[in-house]
Amino acid sequence: MSINIIVCAKQVMDPETPSSAFSVDSDIKQVTPVQGIPPVVNGFCENAVEAALQIREAAGGGTVTVLSVGNEFVMDVMKKPLSMGADSMILIQDQLCENLDALGTVNVLSAAITRAGEFDLILCGQQASDWDNAHVPLGLSETLGIPCLTEAKNIEIGDDSVTVNSSRTDGYEVFEANLPALITVNNEIGEPRYPTLRGIMQASRKTPEILSLSDLGLSEDQMAPAMALSDLYIPVSEAQCEIIEGEDDADSGRLLALKLREAKII
Amino acid sequence: MPRDHAADILDPIAKEVVNNVGVWVDKEVVPVASEFEHADEFPEPLVNGMAEMGLFAIKIPEQYGGLDLSFECYAGVCIELARGWMSLAGVLNTHVLVAWAINAYGTEEQKENYLRRMVEPEIRAALSITEPDAGSDAQAIKTQARRDGDDYLISGQKMWVTNGQRAGVYLVLTKTEMDTTPPHKGISAFLVDAGTEGFTVGRKLEKLGYKGVETTELSFENARVPALNILGGSEGSGFQHVMSALEVGRINVASRGVGVAQAAFEDSIHYAQQRTAFGKPIAQHQAQQLRLAEMATKIRAARLLTFDAARKKDAGQRTDLDAGMAKLYATEVAQEVVLEAMRIHGGVGYSNELPLERYYRDAPVMVIAEGTSDIQKLVIARNLLREYQI
Ligand SMILES: Cc1cc2nc3c(=O)[nH]c(=O)nc-3n(C[C@H](O)[C@H](O)[C@H](O)COP(=O)(O)OP(=O)(O)OC[C@H]3O[C@@H](n4cnc5c(N)ncnc54)[C@H](O)[C@@H]3O)c2cc1C
Repeated sequence: MSINIIVCAKQVMDPETPSSAFSVDSDIKQVTPVQGIPPVVNGFCENAVEAALQIREAAGGGTVTVLSVGNEFVMDVMKKPLSMGADSMILIQDQLCENLDALGTVNVLSAAITRAGEFDLILCGQQASDWDNAHVPLGLSETLGIPCLTEAKNIEIGDDSVTVNSSRTDGYEVFEANLPALITVNNEIGEPRYPTLRGIMQASRKTPEILSLSDLGLSEDQMAPAMALSDLYIPVSEAQCEIIEGEDDADSGRLLALKLREAKII
Repeated sequence: MPRDHAADILDPIAKEVVNNVGVWVDKEVVPVASEFEHADEFPEPLVNGMAEMGLFAIKIPEQYGGLDLSFECYAGVCIELARGWMSLAGVLNTHVLVAWAINAYGTEEQKENYLRRMVEPEIRAALSITEPDAGSDAQAIKTQARRDGDDYLISGQKMWVTNGQRAGVYLVLTKTEMDTTPPHKGISAFLVDAGTEGFTVGRKLEKLGYKGVETTELSFENARVPALNILGGSEGSGFQHVMSALEVGRINVASRGVGVAQAAFEDSIHYAQQRTAFGKPIAQHQAQQLRLAEMATKIRAARLLTFDAARKKDAGQRTDLDAGMAKLYATEVAQEVVLEAMRIHGGVGYSNELPLERYYRDAPVMVIAEGTSDIQKLVIARNLLREYQI
């Protein structure tokens, strides 16, 4: 059996960036890039690459194509899925993609997927760690007119169908859908593999295909945001400390209990 | 702030390899290293992880199934491994340098027979030069190999053999002629398979640090080894072959020095910003800033010397001088930096809850093994006197 999989993967700011280095520019409503800390491939997207590689290996053949939309890719970062073992990569890189909202991203991804040709499965990270919106996969399946199965912790490919165990807070649900289908995954699907030295060497011989929006026949107005961000700020959290002193330990305890009751904590 | 694991590396593939190994070290090694170390337990899962990534094949040519990556890459990998735990770079060291020696000097049969099995690795390799009465003066070894038909019979006692219990093949320095002048003309190196009759792996030596990886004695009592197993096929070149392979070992040990020093420095600069004394973080006291600045500058110099030696080796140049300088400087820096790190940490640095005490115990072996600092200076001076001869 041979299976062709497209993985949508996003380049995001490193979520391990120390909070002291994180800042936003409220005037232009953007996060200020941190100098010296390179971006990363979104964690759940790496899980999606891992899932795709496992499915391809279990099927005994096929292709894994990684697809990403952005305005400025760091190639050393984006190469990682290729080093993990993906067959090819398509990057849609265009200045117009700088501030795409979910709908704009869906439009670009669906145009690129249609251009790429036939596929059996699309895998996406459940959400991206930059905004945690989780909108794109749902919009993409809607636009492509294919079923969407979310939060897969296990994916089983049958003849023309797929069975997915979807994580829920109190367990999991089992869904079945016809192929082609779109599936979102999170870390429960399994840790992404470390690229091997051989994988890195093989990936170094592959060049990602880089396309602009015009290559996809998309115009600027198709990218117009459907949603406006009205405010962006870092919430201020304040902590106050009050020392409660009593005549002895028992008295301090009693006074503390009174305070907590006043504050409606107990 | 996370630092660039691959800083100062020029080769793009090496950069990516080292970055990935750095990520692996942060996730898989750092959290468990002290636990394995305190138990002096061989880190099987970590060594398996290294094998899965392909680290044992790093210097084996592609024609034997290896990866044939650069020494620059190898140095970067060893720095990262040692940043997590010095012993892991030690597990790799003898394997890589023996593979290198087989490829550089071995016969075609030796390459086919050993290198392919060293890729996965199906077998790991150890190096055995040192004896109870011969360390720095390696030409003074007494282990003897006597010709017996198509074989040699090896007899003698070896000491300090890292990876001694888990190796499948040992590169063993012996004397095939006892009274030659100079003595090295009578020295030959043999590839001895584990399990050879008459060859036994002795006790594991207890050590101050460098734990997890075993260092053992070996004994040979008329161990029968085919003549075909002399490295390169003929007698008398063993000393030169092994000394040349030690350049690879010295790049490894220099890298370990850089890695251990880097770990101690990073722990220190983080701690110095958290710990307060006299009303401010100790990093705001100028005396500590001077200390941190000196540590970082020395580590950077050591790092650059190490990569420089590695790149010269990649270019096929003679590197005994450069590898000697890198090994001397980087390991002495490691020793200094771990002590400075302990000063910055104060009492808590002495506790075995922080990895610093491990770095402190791991540092000294690097100024001893693979040629002591004194011996590196002799190698350096010999080269300089040749270069500046009047
Ligand atoms: C943990 C560990 C692992 C090791 N692993 C291996 C291994 O895998 N394989 C292997 O073969 N060996 C191994 N060794 C041995 C190591 O290479 C030797 O210990 C080292 O070369 C020094 O030899 P020595 O211990 O006999 O010291 P000695 O040679 O006795 O030296 C003692 C002192 O004398 C100094 N000295 C010696 N000669 C001179 C001189 N000409 N001028 C000035 N000073 C001099 C030395 O610098 C040192 O300060 C290992 C050692 C250790 C501790």
